[in-house]
Amino acid sequence: MTIYETEVPGVGHKFELEIDGEERLVVIIHHDGKRDVYRRPDPDADSERLFSLSDKQARQFGSILEGAHFQPVDLDEVQVPLGDSLIEWYDIADLDEGPPIVGETLAESNLREAIGVSVVAIQRGEETIANPEATETVRAGDTLVVLGTREQQHEFEELLDA
Amino acid sequence: MAALLVELGVALVALALAGIAANRLSLSVIPAYILVGILVGPNPPTEVAGLSLQIVGYGEFVELAAELGIVVLLFFLGLEFSVGQLLDDRRRIASAGAVDFLLNFGIGVAIGLAFGRTLLETVLLAGIVYISSSAIVTKTLIEQGWIANPEADPVLGTLVFEDILIAVYLAVVAALVTGTGGLSGAVVDVGVAFAFLGGLALVAWYATRFVEATFDLPSDELFLLSVVGTATLIAGVALSIGVSEAVAAFFVGTAFSQTSHTERIEHVIAPTRDLFAAFFFFSIGLQTDVTLLAGVAGLLAVAVVATTVTKLTSGAISGRIYGLSPTRSLRTGLALISRGEFSLIIAALVVSAAGSGNDSLADFAPVVTAFAVGYVLVMSVLGTVLVQYADAITGRLVPLLDR
Repeated sequence: MTIYETEVPGVGHKFELEIDGEERLVVIIHHDGKRDVYRRPDPDADSERLFSLSDKQARQFGSILEGAHFQPVDLDEVQVPLGDSLIEWYDIADLDEGPPIVGETLAESNLREAIGVSVVAIQRGEETIANPEATETVRAGDTLVVLGTREQQHEFEELLDA
Repeated sequence: MAALLVELGVALVALALAGIAANRLSLSVIPAYILVGILVGPNPPTEVAGLSLQIVGYGEFVELAAELGIVVLLFFLGLEFSVGQLLDDRRRIASAGAVDFLLNFGIGVAIGLAFGRTLLETVLLAGIVYISSSAIVTKTLIEQGWIANPEADPVLGTLVFEDILIAVYLAVVAALVTGTGGLSGAVVDVGVAFAFLGGLALVAWYATRFVEATFDLPSDELFLLSVVGTATLIAGVALSIGVSEAVAAFFVGTAFSQTSHTERIEHVIAPTRDLFAAFFFFSIGLQTDVTLLAGVAGLLAVAVVATTVTKLTSGAISGRIYGLSPTRSLRTGLALISRGEFSLIIAALVVSAAGSGNDSLADFAPVVTAFAVGYVLVMSVLGTVLVQYADAITGRLVPLLDR
């Protein structure tokens, strides 16, 4: 999502957020803290003002949007903490050009030595391979259940994205 | 003292009532403040149904308050001047600004010469009709919701360009009208002005960290006093050596524009600006002799019609430079039609120069005041009203442009 910021002399700041396709939300923050929120459906249409909020109202509204009070849980994103470590699920893209570990066995990819993460399970379609052998080959479309610290998980994610 | 306090009270209450009325009509407060000044001032109309309307005189207090109004108006212009925005978008701003200047200043020069004015008077008239009112234009953008549309970009870009140009223009013109005359004298005066203001601009540019630290004050009242005090003192020093106090204040404002104090200034000092700016418009009204309007009626009519057309045209071209549709380009022109505070500042400059001994302007000063006041009254109202009928106007004009 791209956000465009411009100064509006004598008024304050203008932010434009790209939302779906060509639609934009335009937020004017006045120097006195007032926020005007506009919606522009496409580049040719005129912006229509949705609402205005005072500084205080806008902060409260913002914290609701941010999820400070209630965060809906996305099961793909859920993290299960185990001491310093946590378990995360990674979907291996079902593509020809997958990450380097596709087609390697767990022993070959050497994840525990190189990064420190352990693959505790592989979900392959309906099947769940718990505590997989070192000879198990990672395939495109698998979901890996991985145990590691936050830093290790991060490093692993980078390996997948590489 | 009692009489003076009553006089001041009458002025403030009258300004407040006029402002409320203008708000009800969705018009700018600027023409309302001027009209109040004309109404209660020493010039005609002087009475209604036997009741004297000469309630407020043009005394030293109003004069000083009005002067402070100019200083804070230009200080805020400098404060809100965004160097970053100018540099980021310099190509389009320069093109749109150049078109705006050539057409509108150009038509001013043409009108001045056609009416047989001297070169200096022509340059003054051209300045008055050239520059749009930042205050009215910005307010219009917000009220119409255009601020959230792409047409806000060329409008604000043009205003940024006009800001720099008016600083240079005021610096030159102030030196010329207060000067002792003669070509070599004028060159020296302009040289002094540019040396002083150029130095000030450099200090403003490089003093950001110093300004940041110096004005980092714990209480709002000390902040208010320090900022207004600094701006007023530097403007006063400038004026005392014959340099435009308005431009000096502009550069003091730019010194603050790169610091983190801008938000606080908008909060703490904006009310001070509003108060003294109201006095400035009021004082312009007080000094206006409406009977002189008859003498400039022809000039006024020509200027109103011609400069409305040129501003609409230059705005529309600017919109095209920014790649906007015909409708949005015409809106750019409509938004910029309002003239206001800067036109009056130019007129005030002439009046004060004539008052301080420039005899060559003695005859022209009342004329230019009457013209500027008449012009701003018409253009501020016309600009606001045209914008309210923007859809009908663009609906008519766009098919003509497409053909």
